[in-house]
Amino acid sequence: MKKIIEVKNLSKSYKNLKAIDDLSFDVYEGEILGLLGPNGSGKSTTINSILNLLEFEKGTIKIFGKIMKPDAYDIKRDIGVIFQEVAVFEELTVYENIDYFCGLYVSDKLLRKSYVEDAINLVGLKEFTKFYPKQLSGGLLRRLNIACGIAHKPKLIFLDEPTVAVDPQSRNNILDGIKKLRDDGATIVYTTHYMEEVEMICDRIIILDKGKILAEGTTDELKSLAKLEEKITLEVKKISSKVVDEIKTFKTVDSVIQNGNNLVITYKKGKDNLGELTSFLHSKKVTYSKIFSERPTLNDVFLELTGKDLRD
Amino acid sequence: MFIHNFKYSLKVLFRNKSLIFWTFIFPILLGTFFHMAFKDIENNETFHAFDIAVVNSPYYENNTIFKKAINEASKESDNKLFNVKVVNKKDASKMLENKEITGYLEFSNSDVNIIINDNGIYETILKFFVDEVNSNKKIIENTVNEEISKGNLDYQMVISNVMEKLNETVEFKNISRSNLSYTMIEYYTLIAMAALYGGAISMYIINKNMPNMSSVGKRNSTAPIPKSTLLLSGLLASLVVQITGLILLFIYTIFILKIDYNSNIWLIALLAVVGSLAGLSLGCIIGTILKTNENAKSGILIAVTMFLSFLSGMMGITMKYVIDKNIPILNMINPAAMITDGFYALYYYGFESRYIFNILSLIVFSLIMLLISSISLRRQKYDSI
Repeated sequence: MKKIIEVKNLSKSYKNLKAIDDLSFDVYEGEILGLLGPNGSGKSTTINSILNLLEFEKGTIKIFGKIMKPDAYDIKRDIGVIFQEVAVFEELTVYENIDYFCGLYVSDKLLRKSYVEDAINLVGLKEFTKFYPKQLSGGLLRRLNIACGIAHKPKLIFLDEPTVAVDPQSRNNILDGIKKLRDDGATIVYTTHYMEEVEMICDRIIILDKGKILAEGTTDELKSLAKLEEKITLEVKKISSKVVDEIKTFKTVDSVIQNGNNLVITYKKGKDNLGELTSFLHSKKVTYSKIFSERPTLNDVFLELTGKDLRD
Repeated sequence: MFIHNFKYSLKVLFRNKSLIFWTFIFPILLGTFFHMAFKDIENNETFHAFDIAVVNSPYYENNTIFKKAINEASKESDNKLFNVKVVNKKDASKMLENKEITGYLEFSNSDVNIIINDNGIYETILKFFVDEVNSNKKIIENTVNEEISKGNLDYQMVISNVMEKLNETVEFKNISRSNLSYTMIEYYTLIAMAALYGGAISMYIINKNMPNMSSVGKRNSTAPIPKSTLLLSGLLASLVVQITGLILLFIYTIFILKIDYNSNIWLIALLAVVGSLAGLSLGCIIGTILKTNENAKSGILIAVTMFLSFLSGMMGITMKYVIDKNIPILNMINPAAMITDGFYALYYYGFESRYIFNILSLIVFSLIMLLISSISLRRQKYDSI
């Protein structure tokens, strides 16, 4: 597959703090790469360094096979960026804002008009074209922010936490829009805190912390890294402590937690854990009203890899 | 791209309420305030000959040109500038202390010192009188030296050439105009201040193009356009907004406040426009070079503008005189001094070399500032944003 971005040995410090530590990764054509990490993990710094907005100490960055430099205008022409902060002019209407930013890339007026209209339709702002940013809700503002970054139909798009503080309806609209951009051929680098978003839209994920890559792969590949394999929760009417202790001795069981009538059993590995458990309960004449099994989520993997300590 | 950015910069600036208030409305409000405050003074105040003294010394007696000029300016006529008394230094100091005179002149071997206690219109006139005579003296000396070096020893021819040169170069007129007023000086100051306010507009444009200053700046920095193009088109839009503000100020003062700018209106306007360019370039360089936040930059710009205005005599001409006398280079690179000096020169002498020199100085100053800003922006990479 064609490499769109090649990052090699990238390092960047803020005074004594190492923000990115010898980072290397590639982004392939047509994929949505999720950059996942807690606050201060180096996600935004990585994007800003790739875009050459920040000076970095070490490393090389290639985009579309060419070295990225601040004046690499031929590369920049095919890049779209949506930053965390809403980057629009308060003094311009929705239409004018999109037209302004699109005009920095596309000089042909007719072509630009159609591009701007496409962007407005993509983010669903058709009814708000004459509104000023101050008149828009948080979700609409975020959508405007995205429209301004993608109106010129870039081949490579950076989205830095575009759904922060957005209501579920707007979030779905935004995520659908991102998938459509990928389906139209764009390559996307997507940073976020939201695991469900990553699971929903990303083809590949990089988990970053303290400027280093902790894990890299598809959602399933990352989930397979988790020590935890399965979690079974059951609601019982009555269960003796002897039976609970027996469950704890199962070969693949990691822990059993009893909380009133609820029993939560976690498994390290193993096949057909649910079948084995139900047969055992049946043999012990334990009746249960509910039983369900859960696979580990990306969130579990994320917390396992990055730890549960609070971040800034 | 240039026109695209210029067009949208105009829209952004014209719709920015805060900038429009300070650029368009504040000078008009201040002008209205001046009108109300100085209306009565204007009605009562007309120019009259003022009293000065000259310290009697051999240097004065031998300074033929000055002696003649002082006699001419104190001769009874419609153009009489001042009443002069030739006294010793002690008496001159005492007279100044007792406010019997506006100031006194003391001659040394090579120089003339002006001693004043106050800063007002008459002190200004006295200073300009001395400057003017000094300038004429220099022309005469240079022309005579030129003629002698050419080997021309024909006395009549030398005199004729000197007079011709004087007529060409110097228009020593209007200094005794009967409508001289404090109010006019205040309006010139107002125009100069409004012109320098351009710095705030250009700084706004700069901030919108720097990734460490605004989110829009971050987005603009990822666009495939040289920063110099964005900067120059935005700056041109700033200048247009600034000039529009000045035109409104002129229209308001001429048609509503009935201010008579005399026949110099176009020269005043030219100076105001060039002054605006200097103000814009000042905002540009402060916005570009300083690595601090937007509010701090605005504070620094205001402080710098006020300080430069103070040095240029905008709050009292004495300071300008002190700087001219002791650190002349400071006022030669101070845009506020160039603007005020241009206005004063225009007011007293009309369209002559001093006015042109100030116009050219302001243009050179602006170009240098813009060039440095452009280079600085192009080379800037950021450690953090």
